[in-house]
Amino acid sequence: MRADLFMRWMRWTLSVAVLAAARAASGQASQGLDSATAAAIAPIVERARAEKLPVTALYAKAREGQVQRVPVARIEAAVRTLADRMRTANEALAPDASEQELHAAADAIKSGVGPETLRAMRQAGGDGSLAVPIGVLTQLIARGVPVERASMEVVSLLKKGAVARNFIALEESVRQDVLAGRRPDESLDLRLKGIVPNLPQSATTDATGLNASSPRRPR
Amino acid sequence: MHDINDQADEMIGRIIDELKTLPPVPADATARVLARVDAARRGEDRVAYGSLNDDDVTFFPTSTEEMRAAPNAGSDAGRARPSPAKARGTGRFSRRFIISLPAAIGYALAATVAGFLIRGAVPRHPSERPGAQITNAPAGETLGARTMLVPAAASTRALQEAPVKVQLVLDAPRAKSVTVVGDFNAWDGSRTPLERDSSTGVWSVLVDVHPGRHIYAFLVDGKTWTLDPNAPRTKDLDYGTEQSVMMVGMR
Repeated sequence: MRADLFMRWMRWTLSVAVLAAARAASGQASQGLDSATAAAIAPIVERARAEKLPVTALYAKAREGQVQRVPVARIEAAVRTLADRMRTANEALAPDASEQELHAAADAIKSGVGPETLRAMRQAGGDGSLAVPIGVLTQLIARGVPVERASMEVVSLLKKGAVARNFIALEESVRQDVLAGRRPDESLDLRLKGIVPNLPQSATTDATGLNASSPRRPR
Repeated sequence: MHDINDQADEMIGRIIDELKTLPPVPADATARVLARVDAARRGEDRVAYGSLNDDDVTFFPTSTEEMRAAPNAGSDAGRARPSPAKARGTGRFSRRFIISLPAAIGYALAATVAGFLIRGAVPRHPSERPGAQITNAPAGETLGARTMLVPAAASTRALQEAPVKVQLVLDAPRAKSVTVVGDFNAWDGSRTPLERDSSTGVWSVLVDVHPGRHIYAFLVDGKTWTLDPNAPRTKDLDYGTEQSVMMVGMR
Protein backbone atom coordinates (compact mmCIF):
# COMPACT_ATOMS: atom_id res chain seq x y z
CA MET A 1 0.00 0.00 0.00
CA ARG A 2 2.72 2.39 1.01
CA ALA A 3 4.74 1.64 -2.09
CA ASP A 4 1.66 2.10 -4.28
CA LEU A 5 1.12 5.52 -2.77
CA PHE A 6 4.77 6.34 -3.27
CA MET A 7 4.66 5.34 -6.91
CA ARG A 8 1.51 7.40 -7.48
CA TRP A 9 3.09 10.38 -5.77
CA MET A 10 6.22 9.98 -7.85
CA ARG A 11 4.26 9.81 -11.10
CA TRP A 12 2.19 12.86 -10.11
CA THR A 13 5.28 14.83 -9.12
CA LEU A 14 7.09 14.00 -12.33
CA SER A 15 4.04 14.92 -14.40
CA VAL A 16 3.75 18.27 -12.66
CA ALA A 17 7.49 18.89 -13.04
CA VAL A 18 7.44 18.11 -16.75
CA LEU A 19 4.41 20.32 -17.33
CA ALA A 20 5.97 23.17 -15.38
CA ALA A 21 9.25 22.78 -17.22
CA ALA A 22 7.46 22.79 -20.58
CA ARG A 23 5.63 25.96 -19.62
CA ALA A 24 8.87 27.55 -18.39
CA ALA A 25 10.68 26.61 -21.60
CA SER A 26 7.87 28.09 -23.63
CA GLY A 27 8.03 31.26 -21.57
CA GLN A 28 11.77 31.48 -22.05
CA ALA A 29 11.34 31.10 -25.77
CA SER A 30 8.98 34.04 -26.06
CA GLN A 31 10.62 36.06 -23.25
CA GLY A 32 7.33 37.69 -22.32
CA LEU A 33 6.68 39.01 -25.82
CA ASP A 34 3.36 38.87 -27.58
CA SER A 35 3.15 36.22 -30.26
CA ALA A 36 3.37 38.64 -33.21
CA THR A 37 6.52 40.31 -31.90
CA ALA A 38 8.10 36.99 -30.93
CA ALA A 39 7.46 35.60 -34.40
CA ALA A 40 8.78 38.74 -36.10
CA ILE A 41 12.11 38.69 -34.31
CA ALA A 42 12.57 34.91 -34.16
CA PRO A 43 14.78 34.65 -37.30
CA ILE A 44 16.97 37.51 -36.10
CA VAL A 45 17.36 35.90 -32.70
CA GLU A 46 18.16 32.50 -34.17
CA ARG A 47 20.87 33.93 -36.39
CA ALA A 48 22.38 35.85 -33.47
CA ARG A 49 22.28 32.73 -31.33
CA ALA A 50 24.10 30.78 -34.01
CA GLU A 51 26.78 33.49 -33.99
CA LYS A 52 27.02 33.25 -30.19
CA LEU A 53 25.79 36.79 -29.65
CA PRO A 54 23.89 37.51 -26.43
CA VAL A 55 20.27 37.24 -27.48
CA THR A 56 18.89 38.55 -24.18
CA ALA A 57 19.68 42.05 -25.43
CA LEU A 58 17.61 41.41 -28.54
CA TYR A 59 14.64 40.23 -26.51
CA ALA A 60 15.08 43.25 -24.23
CA LYS A 61 15.07 45.61 -27.20
CA ALA A 62 11.82 44.03 -28.41
CA ARG A 63 10.27 44.31 -24.97
CA GLU A 64 11.38 47.93 -24.75
CA GLY A 65 9.36 48.63 -27.89
CA GLN A 66 6.45 46.60 -26.62
CA VAL A 67 6.34 48.56 -23.35
CA GLN A 68 6.21 51.76 -25.39
CA ARG A 69 3.50 50.32 -27.67
CA VAL A 70 5.66 50.61 -30.75
CA PRO A 71 4.37 48.83 -33.92
CA VAL A 72 5.78 45.36 -34.52
CA ALA A 73 7.47 46.38 -37.78
CA ARG A 74 9.44 49.07 -35.99
CA ILE A 75 10.37 46.68 -33.20
CA GLU A 76 11.61 44.18 -35.75
CA ALA A 77 13.71 46.87 -37.45
CA ALA A 78 15.17 47.98 -34.11
CA VAL A 79 16.06 44.42 -33.13
CA ARG A 80 17.67 43.78 -36.51
CA THR A 81 19.70 46.97 -36.22
CA LEU A 82 20.79 46.04 -32.71
CA ALA A 83 21.87 42.59 -33.90
CA ASP A 84 23.98 44.23 -36.61
CA ARG A 85 25.55 46.57 -34.07
CA MET A 86 26.34 43.70 -31.74
CA ARG A 87 27.89 41.78 -34.60
CA THR A 88 30.13 44.75 -35.38
CA ALA A 89 30.95 45.22 -31.70
CA ASN A 90 31.77 41.55 -31.29
CA GLU A 91 34.24 41.68 -34.15
CA ALA A 92 35.81 44.91 -32.92
CA LEU A 93 36.24 43.68 -29.34
CA ALA A 94 37.45 40.21 -30.33
CA PRO A 95 38.66 37.80 -29.22
CA ASP A 96 36.67 37.83 -26.01
CA ALA A 97 34.09 40.49 -25.27
CA SER A 98 31.86 40.29 -22.24
CA GLU A 99 28.12 40.69 -22.56
CA GLN A 100 28.30 44.05 -20.77
CA GLU A 101 30.99 45.24 -23.15
CA LEU A 102 28.92 44.19 -26.14
CA HIS A 103 25.88 46.04 -24.83
CA ALA A 104 27.95 49.16 -24.24
CA ALA A 105 29.67 48.90 -27.61
CA ALA A 106 26.38 48.46 -29.46
CA ASP A 107 25.12 51.66 -27.80
CA ALA A 108 28.34 53.44 -28.73
CA ILE A 109 28.03 52.38 -32.36
CA LYS A 110 24.48 53.73 -32.30
CA SER A 111 25.96 57.06 -31.19
CA GLY A 112 28.39 57.10 -34.10
CA VAL A 113 31.49 55.47 -32.61
CA GLY A 114 33.38 53.47 -35.21
CA PRO A 115 34.68 49.92 -34.80
CA GLU A 116 38.25 51.18 -35.14
CA THR A 117 37.76 53.18 -31.93
CA LEU A 118 36.50 50.07 -30.16
CA ARG A 119 39.49 48.09 -31.39
CA ALA A 120 41.83 50.82 -30.14
CA MET A 121 40.08 50.80 -26.78
CA ARG A 122 40.48 47.04 -26.50
CA GLN A 123 44.20 47.34 -27.25
CA ALA A 124 44.66 50.21 -24.82
CA GLY A 125 42.48 48.80 -22.08
CA GLY A 126 44.31 45.53 -21.62
CA ASP A 127 42.44 42.92 -19.62
CA GLY A 128 40.10 45.38 -17.94
CA SER A 129 36.43 45.69 -18.70
CA LEU A 130 35.56 48.37 -21.24
CA ALA A 131 31.92 48.61 -20.21
CA VAL A 132 32.41 51.82 -18.23
CA PRO A 133 34.84 53.60 -20.61
CA ILE A 134 32.61 52.81 -23.59
CA GLY A 135 29.56 53.96 -21.66
CA VAL A 136 31.26 57.24 -20.75
CA LEU A 137 32.27 57.73 -24.37
CA THR A 138 28.65 57.29 -25.41
CA GLN A 139 27.47 59.72 -22.77
CA LEU A 140 30.07 62.35 -23.68
CA ILE A 141 28.84 62.17 -27.26
CA ALA A 142 25.24 62.41 -26.05
CA ARG A 143 26.22 65.56 -24.14
CA GLY A 144 27.50 67.15 -27.32
CA VAL A 145 31.19 66.35 -27.47
CA PRO A 146 32.09 65.57 -31.10
CA VAL A 147 32.49 61.83 -31.76
CA GLU A 148 36.08 62.03 -33.01
CA ARG A 149 37.21 64.20 -30.14
CA ALA A 150 35.53 62.09 -27.49
CA SER A 151 36.85 58.86 -29.05
CA MET A 152 40.40 60.15 -29.19
CA GLU A 153 40.40 61.35 -25.57
CA VAL A 154 38.89 58.15 -24.19
CA VAL A 155 41.43 55.98 -25.99
CA SER A 156 44.17 58.28 -24.75
CA LEU A 157 42.92 57.99 -21.18
CA LEU A 158 42.93 54.20 -21.43
CA LYS A 159 46.50 54.24 -22.68
CA LYS A 160 47.46 56.33 -19.68
CA GLY A 161 45.91 53.79 -17.32
CA ALA A 162 42.62 55.48 -16.49
CA VAL A 163 40.24 53.24 -14.59
CA ALA A 164 36.47 53.14 -14.23
CA ARG A 165 36.32 55.72 -11.45
CA ASN A 166 38.38 58.18 -13.54
CA PHE A 167 35.92 57.87 -16.39
CA ILE A 168 32.91 58.21 -14.10
CA ALA A 169 34.46 61.31 -12.51
CA LEU A 170 35.14 62.82 -15.92
CA GLU A 171 31.57 62.26 -17.09
CA GLU A 172 30.12 63.71 -13.91
CA SER A 173 32.32 66.80 -14.14
CA VAL A 174 31.40 67.42 -17.77
CA ARG A 175 27.76 66.96 -16.89
CA GLN A 176 27.97 69.59 -14.16
CA ASP A 177 29.83 71.97 -16.46
CA VAL A 178 27.31 71.59 -19.27
CA LEU A 179 24.46 72.16 -16.83
CA ALA A 180 26.26 75.30 -15.72
CA GLY A 181 26.37 76.51 -19.32
CA ARG A 182 29.87 75.54 -20.43
CA ARG A 183 30.37 74.08 -23.92
CA PRO A 184 30.88 70.29 -23.84
CA ASP A 185 34.23 70.26 -25.66
CA GLU A 186 35.53 73.12 -23.51
CA SER A 187 34.45 71.23 -20.43
CA LEU A 188 36.23 68.11 -21.66
CA ASP A 189 39.47 70.05 -22.16
CA LEU A 190 39.19 71.56 -18.72
CA ARG A 191 38.41 68.33 -16.86
CA LEU A 192 41.08 66.29 -18.63
CA LYS A 193 43.66 68.67 -17.20
CA GLY A 194 42.54 67.63 -13.75
CA ILE A 195 42.51 63.91 -14.42
CA VAL A 196 45.45 63.10 -16.69
CA PRO A 197 48.31 64.13 -14.36
CA ASN A 198 47.09 61.64 -11.77
CA LEU A 199 47.02 58.67 -14.11
CA PRO A 200 49.70 55.99 -13.61
CA GLN A 201 50.99 55.94 -17.19
CA SER A 202 51.25 59.71 -17.50
CA ALA A 203 54.84 60.83 -17.98
CA THR A 204 56.05 62.05 -14.65
CA THR A 205 59.46 63.26 -13.68
CA ASP A 206 60.88 62.10 -10.41
CA ALA A 207 63.67 63.60 -8.40
CA THR A 208 66.31 61.95 -10.60
CA GLY A 209 64.95 63.63 -13.67
CA LEU A 210 64.01 60.34 -15.31
CA ASN A 211 60.61 59.54 -16.65
CA ALA A 212 58.88 57.13 -14.33
CA SER A 213 55.68 55.28 -14.77
CA SER A 214 54.08 53.11 -12.15
CA PRO A 215 52.55 49.76 -12.98
CA ARG A 216 48.94 49.71 -14.02
CA ARG A 217 46.57 49.68 -11.18
CA PRO A 218 43.81 47.08 -11.18
CA ARG A 219 40.42 48.47 -12.09
CA MET B 1 40.19 -41.13 43.33
CA HIS B 2 37.29 -39.06 42.10
CA ASP B 3 36.78 -35.64 43.46
CA ILE B 4 33.62 -33.60 43.22
CA ASN B 5 34.67 -31.98 39.94
CA ASP B 6 34.92 -35.34 38.18
CA GLN B 7 31.39 -36.25 39.31
CA ALA B 8 30.07 -32.96 38.01
CA ASP B 9 31.72 -33.47 34.63
CA GLU B 10 30.16 -36.90 34.30
CA MET B 11 26.72 -35.53 35.09
CA ILE B 12 27.11 -32.67 32.61
CA GLY B 13 28.16 -35.14 29.94
CA ARG B 14 25.04 -37.22 30.50
CA ILE B 15 22.85 -34.11 30.27
CA ILE B 16 24.46 -33.13 26.99
CA ASP B 17 23.92 -36.61 25.55
CA GLU B 18 20.25 -36.47 26.62
CA LEU B 19 19.74 -33.10 25.01
CA LYS B 20 21.33 -34.24 21.76
CA THR B 21 18.46 -36.63 21.26
CA LEU B 22 15.68 -34.77 19.33
CA PRO B 23 12.20 -35.06 20.79
CA PRO B 24 9.68 -36.91 18.65
CA VAL B 25 7.72 -34.62 16.30
CA PRO B 26 4.02 -35.29 15.85
CA ALA B 27 3.15 -36.33 12.31
CA ASP B 28 0.35 -33.73 11.95
CA ALA B 29 2.72 -30.96 12.95
CA THR B 30 5.20 -32.01 10.27
CA ALA B 31 2.40 -32.09 7.72
CA ARG B 32 1.31 -28.56 8.67
CA VAL B 33 4.83 -27.21 8.32
CA LEU B 34 5.33 -28.85 4.94
CA ALA B 35 1.94 -27.54 3.76
CA ARG B 36 2.91 -23.96 4.71
CA VAL B 37 6.27 -24.28 3.06
CA ASP B 38 4.67 -25.57 -0.11
CA ALA B 39 2.12 -22.78 -0.06
CA ALA B 40 4.88 -20.23 0.42
CA ARG B 41 6.79 -21.68 -2.51
CA ARG B 42 3.71 -21.30 -4.73
CA GLY B 43 3.27 -17.73 -3.59
CA GLU B 44 -0.13 -18.18 -1.97
CA ASP B 45 0.90 -16.30 1.16
CA ARG B 46 2.04 -13.13 -0.56
CA VAL B 47 -0.87 -11.22 0.81
CA ALA B 48 0.69 -11.65 4.20
CA TYR B 49 3.46 -9.25 3.17
CA GLY B 50 1.27 -6.33 2.23
CA SER B 51 -0.15 -5.09 -1.01
CA LEU B 52 3.07 -4.26 -2.83
CA ASN B 53 3.04 -5.01 -6.50
CA ASP B 54 5.68 -7.65 -7.02
CA ASP B 55 6.15 -6.59 -10.62
CA ASP B 56 7.52 -3.29 -9.43
CA VAL B 57 8.95 -4.17 -6.05
CA THR B 58 11.30 -6.93 -4.96
CA PHE B 59 12.18 -7.71 -1.38
CA PHE B 60 15.70 -8.14 -0.26
CA PRO B 61 16.70 -9.76 3.01
CA THR B 62 17.24 -7.13 5.65
CA SER B 63 18.57 -9.21 8.51
CA THR B 64 21.39 -11.65 8.95
CA GLU B 65 18.89 -14.49 9.45
CA GLU B 66 17.21 -13.69 6.18
CA MET B 67 20.56 -13.40 4.46
CA ARG B 68 21.57 -16.80 5.74
CA ALA B 69 18.25 -18.21 4.59
CA ALA B 70 18.51 -16.65 1.13
CA PRO B 71 20.72 -19.36 -0.42
CA ASN B 72 18.00 -21.90 0.37
CA ALA B 73 15.45 -19.98 -1.59
CA GLY B 74 15.12 -22.64 -4.21
CA SER B 75 14.80 -25.52 -1.80
CA ASP B 76 11.74 -26.88 -0.10
CA ALA B 77 12.78 -25.07 3.02
CA GLY B 78 11.17 -22.02 1.48
CA ARG B 79 12.27 -18.77 -0.06
CA ALA B 80 13.66 -16.03 2.07
CA ARG B 81 10.85 -13.65 2.86
CA PRO B 82 10.69 -11.13 5.60
CA SER B 83 8.15 -11.87 8.24
CA PRO B 84 4.96 -9.85 8.08
CA ALA B 85 6.03 -8.07 11.22
CA LYS B 86 9.28 -7.01 9.63
CA ALA B 87 7.60 -6.03 6.40
CA ARG B 88 5.11 -3.82 8.15
CA GLY B 89 6.69 -2.82 11.41
CA THR B 90 10.28 -2.83 12.43
CA GLY B 91 11.42 -3.35 8.85
CA ARG B 92 9.71 -0.20 7.70
CA PHE B 93 12.82 1.91 7.53
CA SER B 94 15.29 -0.79 6.65
CA ARG B 95 13.22 -2.38 3.89
CA ARG B 96 14.75 -1.84 0.48
CA PHE B 97 13.18 -2.35 -2.88
CA ILE B 98 13.99 -1.81 -6.49
CA ILE B 99 11.80 -0.64 -9.31
CA SER B 100 11.60 -2.85 -12.35
CA LEU B 101 14.17 -1.91 -14.97
CA PRO B 102 11.87 -0.37 -17.63
CA ALA B 103 10.09 1.72 -15.02
CA ALA B 104 13.39 2.82 -13.49
CA ILE B 105 14.75 3.87 -16.89
CA GLY B 106 11.57 5.77 -17.66
CA TYR B 107 11.58 7.60 -14.35
CA ALA B 108 15.27 8.39 -14.63
CA LEU B 109 14.85 9.81 -18.14
CA ALA B 110 11.80 11.84 -17.12
CA ALA B 111 13.58 13.20 -14.05
CA THR B 112 16.67 14.08 -16.08
CA VAL B 113 14.71 15.89 -18.76
CA ALA B 114 12.62 17.67 -16.15
CA GLY B 115 15.73 18.72 -14.28
CA PHE B 116 17.39 20.11 -17.36
CA LEU B 117 14.25 21.92 -18.44
CA ILE B 118 13.71 23.42 -15.01
CA ARG B 119 17.30 24.62 -14.87
CA GLY B 120 16.84 26.03 -18.33
CA ALA B 121 19.95 24.29 -19.55
CA VAL B 122 18.35 22.72 -22.58
CA PRO B 123 16.56 25.61 -24.29
CA ARG B 124 18.85 28.37 -23.14
CA HIS B 125 22.01 29.35 -24.86
CA PRO B 126 24.98 30.10 -22.61
CA SER B 127 24.99 33.63 -23.90
CA GLU B 128 21.52 34.13 -22.40
CA ARG B 129 22.81 33.74 -18.88
CA PRO B 130 23.11 37.05 -17.08
CA GLY B 131 26.68 38.17 -17.00
CA ALA B 132 27.80 35.37 -19.26
CA GLN B 133 31.16 35.78 -20.90
CA ILE B 134 30.90 35.69 -24.65
CA THR B 135 34.02 33.91 -25.67
CA ASN B 136 35.11 33.66 -29.24
CA ALA B 137 37.26 30.68 -28.44
CA PRO B 138 39.02 29.03 -31.33
CA ALA B 139 37.80 25.58 -32.24
CA GLY B 140 40.87 24.01 -30.71
CA GLU B 141 39.96 25.40 -27.32
CA THR B 142 36.46 24.02 -27.34
CA LEU B 143 35.94 21.34 -24.74
CA GLY B 144 32.83 19.35 -25.47
CA ALA B 145 29.69 20.94 -26.78
CA ARG B 146 29.39 23.88 -24.42
CA THR B 147 32.46 24.18 -22.26
CA MET B 148 35.01 26.70 -23.37
CA LEU B 149 38.29 27.78 -21.91
CA VAL B 150 37.72 31.31 -20.67
CA PRO B 151 40.84 33.42 -20.63
CA ALA B 152 41.91 35.08 -17.42
CA ALA B 153 41.02 38.46 -18.88
CA ALA B 154 37.40 37.38 -19.11
CA SER B 155 37.31 36.42 -15.43
CA THR B 156 38.92 39.75 -14.53
CA ARG B 157 36.22 41.50 -16.50
CA ALA B 158 33.52 39.45 -14.84
CA LEU B 159 34.76 40.65 -11.45
CA GLN B 160 34.87 44.25 -12.62
CA GLU B 161 31.40 43.96 -14.09
CA ALA B 162 29.78 42.56 -10.97
CA PRO B 163 26.48 44.34 -10.36
CA VAL B 164 26.21 47.07 -7.75
CA LYS B 165 23.17 48.25 -5.84
CA VAL B 166 21.65 51.45 -7.13
CA GLN B 167 18.74 53.25 -5.49
CA LEU B 168 16.08 54.72 -7.74
CA VAL B 169 13.65 57.22 -6.27
CA LEU B 170 10.50 58.85 -7.61
CA ASP B 171 8.36 61.33 -5.73
CA ALA B 172 4.84 60.43 -6.82
CA PRO B 173 2.51 60.64 -3.83
CA ARG B 174 -0.65 60.13 -5.88
CA ALA B 175 0.57 57.11 -7.81
CA LYS B 176 -1.02 53.75 -7.14
CA SER B 177 1.95 51.80 -8.43
CA VAL B 178 5.40 52.57 -9.79
CA THR B 179 7.76 50.20 -11.55
CA VAL B 180 11.04 50.82 -13.30
CA VAL B 181 11.88 49.51 -16.76
CA GLY B 182 15.33 49.66 -18.23
CA ASP B 183 18.09 47.77 -19.92
CA PHE B 184 19.21 46.44 -16.51
CA ASN B 185 15.95 44.52 -16.03
CA ALA B 186 15.32 43.72 -19.71
CA TRP B 187 12.50 46.30 -19.78
CA ASP B 188 10.34 44.05 -17.67
CA GLY B 189 8.36 46.23 -15.28
CA SER B 190 7.06 43.30 -13.28
CA ARG B 191 10.58 42.54 -12.10
CA THR B 192 11.19 45.82 -10.31
CA PRO B 193 8.28 47.43 -8.50
CA LEU B 194 9.06 50.42 -6.30
CA GLU B 195 7.87 50.57 -2.70
CA ARG B 196 6.02 53.57 -1.36
CA ASP B 197 7.02 55.25 1.87
CA SER B 198 3.63 55.87 3.45
CA SER B 199 4.77 58.94 5.37
CA THR B 200 6.40 60.79 2.45
CA GLY B 201 4.75 59.29 -0.63
CA VAL B 202 8.18 58.71 -2.11
CA TRP B 203 8.66 55.53 -4.12
CA SER B 204 12.05 53.83 -4.11
CA VAL B 205 13.78 50.60 -4.96
CA LEU B 206 17.28 49.12 -4.90
CA VAL B 207 18.29 47.48 -8.15
CA ASP B 208 21.33 45.45 -9.14
CA VAL B 209 23.02 47.16 -12.06
CA HIS B 210 26.22 46.27 -13.87
CA PRO B 211 28.81 49.06 -14.11
CA GLY B 212 28.37 51.15 -17.25
CA ARG B 213 25.79 53.38 -18.89
CA HIS B 214 22.16 52.40 -18.56
CA ILE B 215 18.86 53.82 -19.74
CA TYR B 216 15.55 53.50 -17.98
CA ALA B 217 12.20 55.07 -17.17
CA PHE B 218 9.48 54.72 -14.58
CA LEU B 219 6.05 53.34 -15.38
CA VAL B 220 3.48 55.02 -13.15
CA ASP B 221 0.23 53.15 -12.63
CA GLY B 222 1.33 50.64 -15.22
CA LYS B 223 1.05 52.97 -18.21
CA THR B 224 2.52 56.45 -17.76
CA TRP B 225 6.09 56.71 -19.08
CA THR B 226 7.87 58.92 -16.54
CA LEU B 227 11.48 60.10 -16.61
CA ASP B 228 13.65 60.33 -13.52
CA PRO B 229 13.78 64.00 -12.55
CA ASN B 230 17.16 63.43 -10.87
CA ALA B 231 18.91 61.89 -13.87
CA PRO B 232 20.15 63.11 -17.24
CA ARG B 233 18.06 62.30 -20.27
CA THR B 234 18.74 61.03 -23.73
CA LYS B 235 16.67 60.38 -26.81
CA ASP B 236 16.58 56.79 -27.98
CA LEU B 237 17.29 56.64 -31.69
CA ASP B 238 15.53 53.32 -32.20
CA TYR B 239 12.10 54.21 -30.84
CA GLY B 240 12.34 57.98 -30.60
CA THR B 241 11.43 58.23 -26.92
CA GLU B 242 13.24 60.08 -24.16
CA GLN B 243 14.85 58.01 -21.46
CA SER B 244 16.73 58.59 -18.25
CA VAL B 245 20.43 57.77 -18.09
CA MET B 246 22.49 56.44 -15.21
CA MET B 247 26.24 56.01 -15.13
CA VAL B 248 27.21 53.24 -12.75
CA GLY B 249 30.74 52.81 -11.51
CA MET B 250 32.30 49.85 -9.84
CA ARG B 251 32.02 48.91 -6.23
